[in-house]
Amino acid sequence: MNILVCLKQILDPEIPARDFRVDTVKREADRGSASLVTNIFCENALETALQLRERTGSARITVLSYGPPSAEDSLRKALAMKADAAALVLNDGNQNPDPFTTARVLAAAIRKIGTFDLIMVGREAGDWGAGQTGGLIAEELGMPCVSFVDRIESNDGQLKLNRQTDTGWEVLEASPPIVVSVTNDEHNLPRIPKVRDVMMSYRQPLTNLSLDDLGIDAHEARAGNSYYQVAELSIPQKETHCEFVTGDTLDQKVGSLAQRIIEVTSAM
Amino acid sequence: MNPADATRQIYWNISHIWVMYLLLLPTVAIAGYGIYRQFARWRRGLPAARFDRPAKRVQLLVKHAFAQRRTARNRYAGLFHRLVTYGFIVLTIATTIVALDADFGTTIMRGNFYLYFQSFVVDIFGALVMVGIGMAATRRYLMRPKQLVYTNEATLILAVIFLMCLQGFLIEGWRIAATNDPWGAWSPFGNAVARGSLQLMSVEAIRGAHGGVWWSHVVLSFGFIAWVPYTKMMHVITAPLNIYTANLVPLGATLRSIDFEKAESFGVNSFEDFTWKDLLDLDACTECGRCTSVCPANIVGKELSPRDIILQLRDLMHEELRISDFGFRIDKPKDKIRYETSGSNSDKSAIRNPQSAIIAAVPATSPLSLWQCTTCAACMQACPVFIEQMPKIVDMRRHLVMEEADFPDSMQEAILSLERRGHPFSGTQSTRIDWTEGLNIRQVSETDDAEVLLWVGCGGALIERNQRVTRATAQLLEQAGVKFAIMGREEKCSGDPARRIGNEFLFETLAKENVANLNKHHVKKVVTACPHCFNTFKNEYPQYGGRFEVFHHSEYLADLVSEGRLKSHTGSDKKITFHDPCYLGRQNGVYDAPRELVQISTKESVVEMERSRKKSFCCGGGGGMSFVEEPPDKRVNQERAREVLESGADVLAVGCPFCMTMMEDGINARKGEREVKVMDVSELLWEAAQPRAAETFVTTPG
Ligand code: SF4
Ligand code: SF4
Repeated sequence: MNILVCLKQILDPEIPARDFRVDTVKREADRGSASLVTNIFCENALETALQLRERTGSARITVLSYGPPSAEDSLRKALAMKADAAALVLNDGNQNPDPFTTARVLAAAIRKIGTFDLIMVGREAGDWGAGQTGGLIAEELGMPCVSFVDRIESNDGQLKLNRQTDTGWEVLEASPPIVVSVTNDEHNLPRIPKVRDVMMSYRQPLTNLSLDDLGIDAHEARAGNSYYQVAELSIPQKETHCEFVTGDTLDQKVGSLAQRIIEVTSAM
Repeated sequence: MNPADATRQIYWNISHIWVMYLLLLPTVAIAGYGIYRQFARWRRGLPAARFDRPAKRVQLLVKHAFAQRRTARNRYAGLFHRLVTYGFIVLTIATTIVALDADFGTTIMRGNFYLYFQSFVVDIFGALVMVGIGMAATRRYLMRPKQLVYTNEATLILAVIFLMCLQGFLIEGWRIAATNDPWGAWSPFGNAVARGSLQLMSVEAIRGAHGGVWWSHVVLSFGFIAWVPYTKMMHVITAPLNIYTANLVPLGATLRSIDFEKAESFGVNSFEDFTWKDLLDLDACTECGRCTSVCPANIVGKELSPRDIILQLRDLMHEELRISDFGFRIDKPKDKIRYETSGSNSDKSAIRNPQSAIIAAVPATSPLSLWQCTTCAACMQACPVFIEQMPKIVDMRRHLVMEEADFPDSMQEAILSLERRGHPFSGTQSTRIDWTEGLNIRQVSETDDAEVLLWVGCGGALIERNQRVTRATAQLLEQAGVKFAIMGREEKCSGDPARRIGNEFLFETLAKENVANLNKHHVKKVVTACPHCFNTFKNEYPQYGGRFEVFHHSEYLADLVSEGRLKSHTGSDKKITFHDPCYLGRQNGVYDAPRELVQISTKESVVEMERSRKKSFCCGGGGGMSFVEEPPDKRVNQERAREVLESGADVLAVGCPFCMTMMEDGINARKGEREVKVMDVSELLWEAAQPRAAETFVTTPG
């Protein structure tokens, strides 16, 4: 089975809230001292793929990213986790492409580097959280898409997918090729790579692609926001008010507290 | 009767002496083979440079092999061990002299030397050996301390030595009786045997018995000599050898670095990965148990036992590193059982080379145990023969981390955070400079006239309680007029937790990065409130080109006090005890500076806990253990908290951000018993240095 996992490198979402700044003019997050990390849901997707390969014993995993040169680190880390091959489409245009652009670029790259039975993406990225790319890649490639998957099994080429829903799980069967977006679960926590493999990952080949290589409208892709624009970006201000409920007896206090809760929540 | 002629006839009653010489051949052959085998085995280890600075090594030998300073820390054991050692030395010299006179025609055994030494001194020391053996047996069979290893071999050794001495006295006494030796009285115990025997036996019978016992003495002694290299008695050779080749660096500098370009494997999981010195360490163990008896993890009931790691690896090594035995092998190699690996992610584990693996091959090296070590180095400090237990534990951790990626989840989280954010506290909401709020602290990038860098450390910057300590330290420096600066956001973890957890690769990355950054800012002097950073800067960074003058804040502040730049106005009469951080005290020998600060903060004298200074007991937080949730009934910090409460102190002074967290938690868990406040030495000094009342103590940011 040929598996492709898409990875996105993002700003470390775990920086202290106080350190988080946005550039309101450029309408993007300020990097500040934050490090760059692989989006956690993408790592969940990779871990799910690795486990599927362990179970089937014979799958090949390729990782793909569309990003700046630094995104190579995310791909190297994936190689250290034992992905088989890696490719980077260099983003030398708008650093915050919208999901349509991203999906178009990734789909073009996928068509270019091989044929895949299973294309996996993270359910959303920890920076903008749009959660669109998986579905749009499927659209571009003309494949079916299953979202919020946390476990995949393969049976004679048929895939059994565990899909999280608001109320529980759905179990789906699907025939490849297919796109799935992966969500997190206690079973797909990304593994820690062995140091030996981390070192080896820097000696492995990595395919570099440019937008011009992909046979898409590179000019439009470089612009990156053909479908939507961020109109305004700000950090919500947190305000706290303290109010004491009155009443002489406990019953009265509880009563007025309940009353206030109803008032406040209905005003929201 | 002229004392100048005093002597005795050698072999007076013994014929066929050639038989003795004949017996000597197999004795030497068997013992020689035993010794050869051990040397051959050690030579299979990797190289290690342990013959530099011979003067220092000889000094160590005198102090610890001859004077046995560490053995003597246990008064009783130290006494009997010295009785036996010195007795043996004297008896060996005496026997050598007899051999010289008998075979080489010398006449040393004459006159006063014969009377004072060969008769009197030897007689007394022979008796002292027996007293020593008696004391050892009393300890082993009546007092039965837990730290000993109870084997038949140990029993047999005691019995044989006792018997040899007894035979010696019988031989001597019966010779005195039968020859009516005019100088007999110079051997008081031998003489007593002579008097007693004459009451009971005829001279003829004594003569006959003498011959029998003499030959049995030869057989027993030769047998013993042949047997020694196969028993723990081999320590008469390995102990001095091991002490001579000991690691001469401070305990905090004993972890070795890895050449990642060349190394075939990272860390240790086979005897081939050890150096010859590590292998010698295994054979040098005397089974005394001192290491395990001071191991904090073991004391609170965990599985870790440094003694068992050494002994079980020794046995495994004898099994696996076979040296030609000329076909005499009787025992078959044992089947390997893998031991309990919980605490790590055992199901993921695929030990690289199971054939020769040592991790989990014996119970003592189960990952469960290896992940309990706080790297406090108490074991190394206690070992009378300078065995390095802790670095071996870290070596095995390195294998688990770097080759298997198999280690406790909470430690993985710390490592991941270190990789990503340069600090181990995943999820912290603090930044490196939050503590500076409201203070006017300069960063190295903004100044070029700072005399010293205040290295804050992750603990001092990111753990809220410790931010107050950092503020106190910074304010004291300011008050003393010290021009200092901080790295601010440029600071990254020193790498200590990564190294102790076993990710040497990450440690090296952090070390190189920090050193380059510090050198870029021309930093020369560093002061830090974290003993782990202190140790890393002092003992580990020089290897990466970072040569700084490093001070623990207690040292730096104590200097400022003695220069008169800081004054204490204390009127406090609090009883304060000080908890020595392992990486400051035991591993780097700084004991006095923090105590000086404590002393000037109170009118009472410093309260000492039962275990303090060299013998101090770990808070439980070193070696990455502060990231691990310990089982509630086996917590090192609670054992230490018990001792704090029992000391009667009102305040526990600490000098380490990890000790602060661990000890506050430990004491909180025993809150019902008595209120004890935990304060850093700098906080105490800051409080005492304020001319006004303590209410003005500004410690919270903003
Ligand atoms: S370093 Fe400390 S915790 Fe580790 S084995 Fe030695 S005494 Fe025990
Ligand atoms: S390692 Fe050292 S302290 Fe521990 S039992 Fe052996 S000789 Fe004693």
